[in-house]
Amino acid sequence: MLETLLSVKGLNKWFKDKHALKDISFDVKRGEIMAILGPNGAGKSTTIRNIMEIIQPDSGEIEFTGHQGIPRDKIGYLPEERGLYKNVRVMDMLLFLADLKNYPLKQARERALAYLEKFGLGGKENMKLEEFSKGMSQKVQFIASILDEPELLILDEPFSGLDPVSQDQFKEEIYSLAQNGTAILVSSHQMNVIEQICSRLFMIQNGQKVIYGTLDDVKTQYANFKCTIRGENLEQAGLENLPLVVRTEYTEGTAILSLGTEAEPAKWLRQLPEQLEIHELSIDRISLHEIFIDIATERNLIREAGEVYA
Amino acid sequence: MRNALKIAKWEIQKNIKNKTFIIGIIMTPALFLLFSFIGSLVNSSDEENTLVYVNDQVGAYEALKETAKTQHESWKLEKTDVSKEEAAKLAEKHDDAVYLFLDKQSVEQGNIQYYAGADAEDEFAEQSQILSGPLKAVQLKQAGLTDQELAAVAKPIQFEKEQILSKEENDQKADDFLKKFVPGIVGGILFLSILFNGMQIFQSASSEKKEKIAEIILSSITPSQLMQGKIIGYFVLGMIQAFVYLAAAIGIAIWKWDPEVLSYVLVPQTLLFVFIAILGYFLFAALYVGLGATVEDMSSTNNMQGLVMMLPFLAFPFIGPIFSDPEGMVAQVGSYVPFTAPAVLIMRLAVLEVWPWAQIAISLATLAVSIVFLMYAAGKIFRIGIMMYGKNATPKEIIKWLRA
Repeated sequence: MLETLLSVKGLNKWFKDKHALKDISFDVKRGEIMAILGPNGAGKSTTIRNIMEIIQPDSGEIEFTGHQGIPRDKIGYLPEERGLYKNVRVMDMLLFLADLKNYPLKQARERALAYLEKFGLGGKENMKLEEFSKGMSQKVQFIASILDEPELLILDEPFSGLDPVSQDQFKEEIYSLAQNGTAILVSSHQMNVIEQICSRLFMIQNGQKVIYGTLDDVKTQYANFKCTIRGENLEQAGLENLPLVVRTEYTEGTAILSLGTEAEPAKWLRQLPEQLEIHELSIDRISLHEIFIDIATERNLIREAGEVYA
Repeated sequence: MRNALKIAKWEIQKNIKNKTFIIGIIMTPALFLLFSFIGSLVNSSDEENTLVYVNDQVGAYEALKETAKTQHESWKLEKTDVSKEEAAKLAEKHDDAVYLFLDKQSVEQGNIQYYAGADAEDEFAEQSQILSGPLKAVQLKQAGLTDQELAAVAKPIQFEKEQILSKEENDQKADDFLKKFVPGIVGGILFLSILFNGMQIFQSASSEKKEKIAEIILSSITPSQLMQGKIIGYFVLGMIQAFVYLAAAIGIAIWKWDPEVLSYVLVPQTLLFVFIAILGYFLFAALYVGLGATVEDMSSTNNMQGLVMMLPFLAFPFIGPIFSDPEGMVAQVGSYVPFTAPAVLIMRLAVLEVWPWAQIAISLATLAVSIVFLMYAAGKIFRIGIMMYGKNATPKEIIKWLRA
């Protein structure tokens, strides 16, 4: 059982008349990668900024195990809106940020050099940041957030704007930090990446919790089966009337049938009309991406499936 | 405080390595020195250029040469035998030459003729009276005066002003004036130097928004620590710059003016001027740090922001009235308005014979209260403004933050 490092309890935040965070509660444990997901404007960054004490919640508690208040020097933070001073040298920038976290400078320098090497920026420590590309700067920002060996690492959209190679580098590093005991809270839109690395997730919509649990639980609970059929005259085949079909979508010779939770693929397949002209057929679980899209567009596939949100 | 000092250290390091700062700090006194050097070069080269050729038939050449040597170094006198016709031609060719003709008749009549080149013409016409003394002597000698009579005639009648104060008292008065005026200049240089560095706070806070680093920094420290750090950092930078400027100014003053100048700087009065300059810095630093947090793009600042930027210069149009009447209405009112008080006080105290201590106390108290108030307001604006990316804050938003 992993030890809880950060506890967020009943967080509420109002901006004027807008209730931006509604009773948000979750934990982040040592050695786990916890994802905070949600569409733009859902309240992810506001939640994170509350944890970092950059803005103050109107009510609720944030506890960091073993500390009174939030020990900022134990938290590495990569904000969504991020940048670095342009006209300073990379090493000076990194050491300044490490110094703000009270991290020993000698050690910070050694770690900075090692990380720069690791991220393909070896020998560039004396270059000014204005000479760096956006991707290179992003790597330096990431290094800055992990340089002081934080106990908790908060990454707000760490993969945005990265090429696939850099994305993999970040992913591997995040994974290895978690393996070494760092608690990681990551927000991202890249569902495929999140699906690969996170162990638990918290999905938020309009400032409210929608889903919270381990990736496996969420998948079992929410990711029902869907059947994709490519064929002729599908719209006339009355597929929406089949048992356990909760929603049907037609697009250019393809029908996607979302199935209810009780659906057992083998049994259900037998009920397809015999006259149906099928070119291709596949049956899969709904991906995290689809759950996300669903939430974001408020189609509420899950609700239609008869589930009640956690 | 430790975090604020880290920010201050960072701002100092960042700027001190910056070419603009280095060039500014070295080049300003260097340019000042260079211009004063070029000025003296130009002056002396001008002065050396006038060649006065004397066609002397009355034996006055040596006396003229001696006079020129003592009274107008730039004239180089030489004897010549050229005729008037030749001189006219030569003067046309040589702009810096003067041909002077002294014969018995012209001296007797007191009407000396000369030909002058274009460059030498005006200056010689203005200064030629210098040579009238020795020529008058020749004239009188020709008239048959004895040496004794000559001496009596040659000696001009002088009017000697009797001093109301003794020489010592007079020296003391001049000394007292310098003991205030020189510290006043020191205060002025210090104030301007730290003020201009204070304006950099605006740039610094604004670039924090532009480069989107504020949130990364605020994940380690509080906004007020960031703000304090910036204010302290630019204060130190201003002091470094002021120190270099003052050292250069004092050096030049010792070289060009009075070797004793340092003794006028190291007086207790200097402390008050430095104190006023520092108070002025904190007042405007609060203003600029708050303002910087509301502006991301300088090119689209609104009228209110533009006006606030100009506040430190509010006292400048009153320089004339204040110096001409340091006890007048303008000067007194200016001492009580926080935004003009530092500059007005420095100007007034530099020239006032007796310092109005009551006014000074009220002015400093007003200034101190205003600093506390402005720092508080700046803190509120900075806390929210620094995190607002993508646009400048509107006056309505700023007022809302202040009320929050």
